[in-house]
Amino acid sequence: MTFEQIVFYSLAVVTIFSSIMVVVQRNPVNSALYLILDFFCLGGLYLTLNAQFIAIVHILVYAGAIMVLFVFVIMLLNLGDTHKLADRLNMKKIIGIAFGLAFFVELLYLLGFGTTRSISQQSPAAPEIGTIEYIGKVLFTKFLFPFEVTSFLLLAAIIGAVILAKKKIIH
Amino acid sequence: MINQVLQSLPYIVPELIVTGTLCLVLLLSLMMRKKSDLLVFVAALGLFAALAVLTSQPFASACLFFKMTVIDPFSQFFKLVILFAALIVVLMSRFSDEVNQIKKSLGEYYFLVVSMTLGMMFMVSASNLLMMYLSLELTSLTSYVVVGFIKQSKNSSEASLKYLLYGAFSSGVMLYGISIIYGLTGTMELSGINQVLAQGSANTAMLLIGGIMLLVGFGYKISAVPFHFWTPDVYEGAPTTITAFLSVASKAAGFAMLMRALKIMFLDSSALEIGNEFWPLIHGIPVVEILSVLAVLTMTIGNLVALWQDNVKRLLAYSSIAQAGYMLLGLATISNEGYSAVMLYFIVYLFMNLGAFYVAMLISNTLGSENIHDYKGLGRRAPFLSVSMAVFLVSLTGIPPTAGFIGKWMIFLSLINVKMIGLAVIGVLNSVVSLYYYLRIVRNMFLHEGEKEEVAIRYPLAQQLLLLCLMVPTLYFGIFFNPLIELVQFSVQMFGIK
Repeated sequence: MTFEQIVFYSLAVVTIFSSIMVVVQRNPVNSALYLILDFFCLGGLYLTLNAQFIAIVHILVYAGAIMVLFVFVIMLLNLGDTHKLADRLNMKKIIGIAFGLAFFVELLYLLGFGTTRSISQQSPAAPEIGTIEYIGKVLFTKFLFPFEVTSFLLLAAIIGAVILAKKKIIH
Repeated sequence: MINQVLQSLPYIVPELIVTGTLCLVLLLSLMMRKKSDLLVFVAALGLFAALAVLTSQPFASACLFFKMTVIDPFSQFFKLVILFAALIVVLMSRFSDEVNQIKKSLGEYYFLVVSMTLGMMFMVSASNLLMMYLSLELTSLTSYVVVGFIKQSKNSSEASLKYLLYGAFSSGVMLYGISIIYGLTGTMELSGINQVLAQGSANTAMLLIGGIMLLVGFGYKISAVPFHFWTPDVYEGAPTTITAFLSVASKAAGFAMLMRALKIMFLDSSALEIGNEFWPLIHGIPVVEILSVLAVLTMTIGNLVALWQDNVKRLLAYSSIAQAGYMLLGLATISNEGYSAVMLYFIVYLFMNLGAFYVAMLISNTLGSENIHDYKGLGRRAPFLSVSMAVFLVSLTGIPPTAGFIGKWMIFLSLINVKMIGLAVIGVLNSVVSLYYYLRIVRNMFLHEGEKEEVAIRYPLAQQLLLLCLMVPTLYFGIFFNPLIELVQFSVQMFGIK
């Protein structure tokens, strides 16, 4: 086993473990903390794929900003008795499990029996494509126009959020 | 690198003007909160200037910003439709009591309407899946907010939330479809995708899944039937001006994007002969079948459900679903003739649908109601308004001598020319069904006595003038339609394809 493989497998195991823990934990705060661990491991996996920029942004945005928001909401909501969160087996759950199993089988088929050619191929420009320098270069040349459109998208979204937040509904 | 950006800039002057306008509207609303008329003036002037610049460059045809977007007669045509609709909607908003009751955030209202216009202009000229998605989101995000703009109304907020949920879901599905197509072909440019598909190496099943997911995004925007569930609630709950804008401009932008994606991605250019009616399509993708089924479903369900509606806005919502069905028929022919018929229909639809919503808005200004039963006796109380409403509704049904007839006639003609007579027959039958519910409004206005006292309702001259601007073309184009046909036959050209 090469060094890369060792890193990959250890990260993968922790990722899967923490993902499962997110779902099975009774206490929502614990779930949220496991989700943070999950995000960090995913960030590590991005690093092994030469996607440094995505790795950093992933940790900054997801583990940093969004998770703090999650934890705040959970604490503010004050869910009280955590045992009530566990619901009984109903139709929704059965359908969910069926879909999950179907995707799992699909994944196994893809890894085991299907042609692995399509997923093992790596882009030839892989080493430098994930750096901030490269992303900055294409962002201001090839993707300049979509980048500018995004800025207007965000402007409109900010103003929309302000309008909605100011809103008072009279019944 | 920088040269290409600089060379591209002159082509997007209309967009730049609209961008400048929206920034100006925002700043003005911050500085002068009280002067709402100034905002209307600035927004209308900006849109008019963009319109003027647009008409001065009709022959422009180029690929801009590293193949992200194109400029061609096709996009110019749709930008014209969108800008004109935006201009009318801004003027309509000036007269709308519903909108003007929110004095504090009128600036944001006009800002959002103009940014919606900007998003739509990007939509019609996008030639790259990334640009398509981004411009679609720009349009959608702004429309979610303006739909829920009336603070006091619970309906409006409900509509906004529903629109947001449906929109988020369908754009998510669309994004997934884009990622599948990107994975299959390795490019997001429409022409690049076409080249890869022409080689025939892509997996057809995966392509079909990706294509259908992409269609979910388009179908949501044009409110085609399995993706139409948001339409009635949103159209009913939103301010009438926004409903009118969504039903015309947003639909036009969605259609333009669908038409471009369809033609550029799936056309088999190696088998294309000049002067051939049909375009040869890349094998293995049942485009015609999917579009035909979608068109028939959209028309029939839209028309049948409209029969039971008592709220005029809701009725017009179902009617606009049905109208999308007729337009999809034109797409299903997969020919330049069908495309130009759809484009002609859009010019006609612009006037008649905006007109119908405008009258509904004026009536709800005075009556405070959108119920069809309150329209009884209006023919005597407001004769000009009622007559013009009748003209718009007759035109929406497609009866001569109105422009609606020419629009429908061209679509059915293009269907018959490619020997899809079955679809044409279904279309005509649907028009007959629609006659019932359109004329129900007219009958209520003219043939029924009102329950309340018969006081004449007066409307200011400016409001009547705007109505006249919408009614005259509806009648005029019904008789003198040759210039329109020439315009659309020229405008059907897309960049890169004959």
